[in-house]
Amino acid sequence: MFRQKAGWRGLSLQTRLCWAGFLFVLPALLHLIAFKFYPMVEAFRLSFYTYDLMSPPVFHGLENYRAVWNNPLFHQSFWVSVKYMFGVSIPEWFLALALALLLNRRMPGRPLIRLAYFFPIAMSQIVVAMVWKFMYNPLGVVNTVLGSVGVGRINWLATEETALPALILIGIWRGIPLFGVIYLAGLQSIPKEYHEAATIDGAGPWQSFIHVTIPLLMPTILFVMVMSLLSAMKVFLNPLVMTEGGPNGTTRVLPYFIYETAFAYHRMGEAAAASMVLFAFAFALTLIQLRLLRRGGVE
Amino acid sequence: MRRFLVVCSSFVLIAALWAGSVFAQGITWWEHSNPPHNNYSKELVADWNKKHPSMPVEYEFFAMTPYFKKLSAALSTKSAADMFTVIDTLLPSFTTKDVLAPIRPEWLGYKNLDDMKKAYLPGALDGYIHEGKLYAVPMIAATFSLYLNKKHFREAGLDPDKDYPRTWEDIGRVGQKLVKMQGTTMTREAFDFAMHSSAWTMWYLEGLTRQHGGGILDRAGKKCTANGEAGVKAMQVRSMYVHKYKISDPTVSVATNALPADDVPKGRVSMFITHAGSVAQFGPKMMEDIKVVPFPQVNPRKPVSVVYGFALAVNPQIPEAKQKLVHELIRHVVKNAKEWYEKTSYPYPSANFLELPGMDEARKTRYLDVFIGDIKTGTYVTRTPFYLEISDAMHRAMERVVLKNEDPKASLDQACKEIDAALAKP
Amino acid sequence: MSRKALMRWGGRLVTLLTIAGIGLTLLPYFWMLSSSLKTGSEVFELPIRWLPREPQWSNYPDALSRGAFGVYFFNSTLVALAVMAGNLLFCSLAGYGLAKFRFPYRELSFRAILSTLMLPLEIVLVPTFLVVRGLGLVNNYGGLILPLAVDAFGIFLMRQYIKDLPDSLIEAARLDGCSEHGIFWRIILPNCTPALGALALLTFRDNWDQFLWPLIVVSKDRLKTFPLGLAQMEGIDSAAYHEIMAIAVIAMIPTAIIFLFFQRAFVRGIALSGLKE
Repeated sequence: MFRQKAGWRGLSLQTRLCWAGFLFVLPALLHLIAFKFYPMVEAFRLSFYTYDLMSPPVFHGLENYRAVWNNPLFHQSFWVSVKYMFGVSIPEWFLALALALLLNRRMPGRPLIRLAYFFPIAMSQIVVAMVWKFMYNPLGVVNTVLGSVGVGRINWLATEETALPALILIGIWRGIPLFGVIYLAGLQSIPKEYHEAATIDGAGPWQSFIHVTIPLLMPTILFVMVMSLLSAMKVFLNPLVMTEGGPNGTTRVLPYFIYETAFAYHRMGEAAAASMVLFAFAFALTLIQLRLLRRGGVE
Repeated sequence: MRRFLVVCSSFVLIAALWAGSVFAQGITWWEHSNPPHNNYSKELVADWNKKHPSMPVEYEFFAMTPYFKKLSAALSTKSAADMFTVIDTLLPSFTTKDVLAPIRPEWLGYKNLDDMKKAYLPGALDGYIHEGKLYAVPMIAATFSLYLNKKHFREAGLDPDKDYPRTWEDIGRVGQKLVKMQGTTMTREAFDFAMHSSAWTMWYLEGLTRQHGGGILDRAGKKCTANGEAGVKAMQVRSMYVHKYKISDPTVSVATNALPADDVPKGRVSMFITHAGSVAQFGPKMMEDIKVVPFPQVNPRKPVSVVYGFALAVNPQIPEAKQKLVHELIRHVVKNAKEWYEKTSYPYPSANFLELPGMDEARKTRYLDVFIGDIKTGTYVTRTPFYLEISDAMHRAMERVVLKNEDPKASLDQACKEIDAALAKP
Repeated sequence: MSRKALMRWGGRLVTLLTIAGIGLTLLPYFWMLSSSLKTGSEVFELPIRWLPREPQWSNYPDALSRGAFGVYFFNSTLVALAVMAGNLLFCSLAGYGLAKFRFPYRELSFRAILSTLMLPLEIVLVPTFLVVRGLGLVNNYGGLILPLAVDAFGIFLMRQYIKDLPDSLIEAARLDGCSEHGIFWRIILPNCTPALGALALLTFRDNWDQFLWPLIVVSKDRLKTFPLGLAQMEGIDSAAYHEIMAIAVIAMIPTAIIFLFFQRAFVRGIALSGLKE
C-alpha cells in the first residue's frame, strides 16, 4: 500500500474515481489506437483510393464500392461467408449445449472424457487444416469410414456441392468443445436448488430443462451466439490451405476474397471497400444480438 | 500474483523495446521454397561468403504460396530484400510498376543485351524482357514434358519406345489400353492433368491454346480471347480424357492431392505431364521405369511447348554501388550451368548447355535432349500484370468443364467476362 | 417399458453416443499421429492404412532437421507467452476500468473496443505493418509481439467477469484507505484467477500458431515462427507429408501442456464469470 499523492486529496471522490477508471483503461486504449484503430481508419481511407501496393494511391471516390458491387465474385464470396457463418454457428449453439449437458452428468471417467472432448481446442489452426485435408482425400479416412457403412466415394473438396459443407463440418468439430466449455461453466453456476424445487413441484427432466435451465442460461447462450458468429466470419486459413477457395469459388469466404484482391491481384482499394462491407455487416449483426442480450440477460 | 504480472509486463516491455533489426552489412536474398533447389542456393551462398567475408549474403526462403504476397507487401513498404528470386509468370506484376531495377548486362560481363542474348538459348531471355530492358536473370528454365511408365506400356503390349503418344489424340487412343477399372471405379488412370493449382492450369491451357493457333489474351494483352476457337478447342482437349476417352478420373488428381506428380511413382497413372525437376523428385530408382518424351502436340510438325523459369531480380531502392555488387552475386549464382543441372536437375538455358562436357550421359539417361528440345520450342506465358486474376478465372472455367461437364464455350465465355472486367480496372 | 427401464436404456444410449463422439473427435489426432510414423509413400497409400507397417521414428529428427525448427519453436513459444502476458495485464486493467468505474464516454469506448474484433487482419495488414515499421520494429521480436499484446476479446472477457465481483469488497478497501492501484493488485486480481486462467489459455492457443502476421513482419530465418517453418516444407509441388505431420505432433505439445495446466481453472473460471449484464 502506498500513500496517495497529495494532489489527489484536492479532488472529490467522484472525480478521482473517474480519473482512476480512465487511467486503468488508458494503456489498452492507447495500444488499440496505435495498432487497431489507426490501421482501420487507414483501411477505410484506402477504400476510396486505387492502390496497387507499389505505386502511390490515386483518389477514386466511390469507384471501389461500385466495382465491388458489380463484381459477381464478391457477391459469391459474401454469400459463401454467410452460409459458412450460420452453417457453423447454428449447429454449434445446439451441439455445444448438448455436449455440456452430457458432460454435466455423473458418469465414470468424467474427467478423462471431458479431456478427450476438449482436446480439439489444443490443435493448431494450420495443423487442423492439413490433417483434415488428408482425411478428405477421396482415398482417405473419411471416405473409407463412410465406405464401410456403404456410402459411395465422394470427392469432398472437389465437388461444388460438398466442399463448403466439408469445411463447415471442420468448423463445427472445432467449435463444439470451445463453446461447450462455456456452456458447461454456465450450467455449473445454476444452483442445484432450482432443479430440486422444480422436481418437487412435479416437473419431469424435460420440463425442468425448458423452464429452469434455459432461462438461467440465457446470458451464456447469447454470449455464445455473438462470439461464434464473429469468429466464424473471420475464418480464412482453412479455405486457403485446403481448397484455395475452390472448386469454382464455392469455398471462397469473404476474408479470402479480400486477401486475394489485396495481395495477389494488387487491388488494395477494392479489398478495403469489400472489408468495409464485411465490417458493416458484422457490426449490424452484433448490435442486434447485443440488444437481445440486454433484453434477455438482465437478472 | 502481483510479482508474476510485474515480471510478465516487464517481459513484454523488454521484448517490445528490443530494436534488434541489425542493419545488414551484407546482401539479402529472398527465394521461394522449393526443396530441390534451395539447398543448392544455400551452397552458393556459403561459397560466396567464404570469398567475400565483408559482404556476406543473408539468404531466406519462404513458403511458395504466400511468397508472392510477402514480396508484394515488402516492395510496397520498401522493405524488400536486395535480390530476390521471381517466377516469370509473376514478373509483369512488378515490371509494370517499376519495382524492379533493370539489369545491366555490362555488369554481368557482356557488351550489351544482344550480346547477352547470344549466350542463352534463343528466346530464353524473352520472358524477362519488358519494353526492351531486361529485368531478371534466369537461373533455370523449366519445361513440361510427358512422362510415361514403361512397365505399364509393356504390360499392355505396347512398346514404350515406338508407341509413345505424339499428339493429344494419341494419348486418348493409347490410354484406352492402359486404363484399369474395377467396376465403375478407376483404379489406374491412363493419363491425368494436375488440377491442384491455377498456375499449372494456365501452363497447360496456354500451351494448348497456342498449339491451336490462338492465345488467352489478344496480342496487346487488353482483351480476353480464350473463348475464341483456339481456346475452346484447347479446353476440349483439356477435358476430353475425362468425358470422351474416359481414361482420367479427376476425383484422384484434384486439390486434395498435394503432390501433383506423386501419382506417377505410385503407379496410379500411366502418363503424366510434369516439369524437368521431377526427375530429381522421383529419384533414379523410379526413373528406371519411366520414359520422358516431348510435350504432346496438336501438330507435331509445328511444335509449341510451354516453358517457365525462376529468375533473379534486383531491388531498385538500393544504391547504385550496391546494385553493382548484387550483379556480382548474380554472376556468381548462375556461373556454373552444369552444377545447376546436376544439383537440381533443372536445365539451364545457356546456349551451349548441351555441349558442356559430361552432358552426354545425362542426354542418354536423364532425357536432357527431350527437355532442351521442349525448351527450344517453348514459349513463356502471356505477359500481363493481371496474371493471377486471369489464371484464377481460367482455373474456375476448367473446373466447371472438367468436374461438372459444362460446355467449354459457355464456361470460357464466363471466364472471359471475368477477365475482361479485371483488365478494365485501373 | 417401465419408466426405470426406459431411463436405463436412455442412459446406455447416451454412453454409447459419448464414446462414438469421442471417437470422432479424436479421429483426426489419431490420423495425424499415425501419418507421422509412416514412410513418405505409405501416407498416401490406397486403400488407406490405419497404422504404419513399421513406425518410422526417424521421421521426427528428419523433420526437425529440415529447417531451424528449434529456433522456430522457441520463437513461437516466446511470442505466445509474451502476448499472453501482455493480454493478462492490460486486458484486466482495462476490464476493471470498464466494469467498475464511471467516466464520460465509457460505453462508447467499450463499443469501439469491441468493434476492433470485426475487421479481418488481412485488410489492416499493410497499415499495421507501416505503423510497426515506423516504430522500428520490423524484423525483431518487438514487431512480432507488440501489435498482438492487447486484444479486445480479453478486455470483453475480463469486463464481464469483474462486473460480477461484489462492489462491497472494493468499497471496504477504499474505506480502509487502500489506493486504487492497491485495490487492483490486492483485491481484484486475486479474485480473478479463474478468468485469468481462461484468458491465458485462449490467448496462448490463438497466438501459438500465428502465421500471417509473422510472414509479413519478419524475414530473418531466426525469427520465424513454427507455422512459417511448416509451410516452408512444401515446395513448388513436393512435400514430405510424413515429416510435416511429425512437426505437427510436436507442435501440439506446448499447447497441450498449457491446456492441462490451466484446464481446471478454465472450467471453474468461466463458471463464475456469470456473463450476466
